[in-house]
Amino acid sequence: MVFSLAYHFLRDRGAAEEVAQDVFLRLYRKMDDLEDARHVTIWLRKVTSHRSIDYVRKRGSRFTIALEDTAEPSVTEQHGDPLLNRRLRQLIATLAEKPRMVMILRYQEDLTPEEISDVLEMPVRTVKSHLQRSLAILRQKIERSMGEVR
Amino acid sequence: MEDFERQLRDALARKEQPPLFEAKVFAAIAESKSKRWVSWRWEALAASLLALAGFWAQHEHAVRDRVAGEAAKARLQLALKITVTELSKIQRTVRTTEE
Repeated sequence: MVFSLAYHFLRDRGAAEEVAQDVFLRLYRKMDDLEDARHVTIWLRKVTSHRSIDYVRKRGSRFTIALEDTAEPSVTEQHGDPLLNRRLRQLIATLAEKPRMVMILRYQEDLTPEEISDVLEMPVRTVKSHLQRSLAILRQKIERSMGEVR
Repeated sequence: MEDFERQLRDALARKEQPPLFEAKVFAAIAESKSKRWVSWRWEALAASLLALAGFWAQHEHAVRDRVAGEAAKARLQLALKITVTELSKIQRTVRTTEE
């Protein structure tokens, strides 16, 4: 979950590993304060999301990736059309930081808008608006680049 | 819309962490632990020095108190001695005058 969240957000394997490693190091230091497994999962999602956003902000314009060149972790696509999946990931990577993380938390982690609002510390209304707008943008872009979405 | 959301779920399916990732995390934790141990040792040394300084100050204080106490005792003894001498003198004077 941690590596995957960072990877989908950063689209860079090395950067995602760096963030994930830092998150686990923080978890190790924080372990005594976390009550149970559920609390740990919530904490991990929260810290990974914020650390990934900080990572991009700190590096600013230096952290720009040529999306066509990014090598994805060598995992066989389990579902769907691999080409469409790859194109969708590339388009998600073009979204602004907060809406991008909202989309990843929604579709990777299957979180509700309320849960996302808790993770990203933003109003539920803002989460819903990010979701709607991002879906519209992605749909429009994917239709333009790949034809009618089934 | 549901179909598009399913496609998004497929595209954003969880990625496996790279091989050796766990080993790297454990190595980072071990390194941080050793750094903390070094820092803990310095903290312990500083605490010991502080405690030693405290004991020394307390000891100095105790020595000063003892010296002051002994001086006071000596002064009291002297005062008593003077008083006894004075009393004897007075006693002698009274006896002489009464006789």
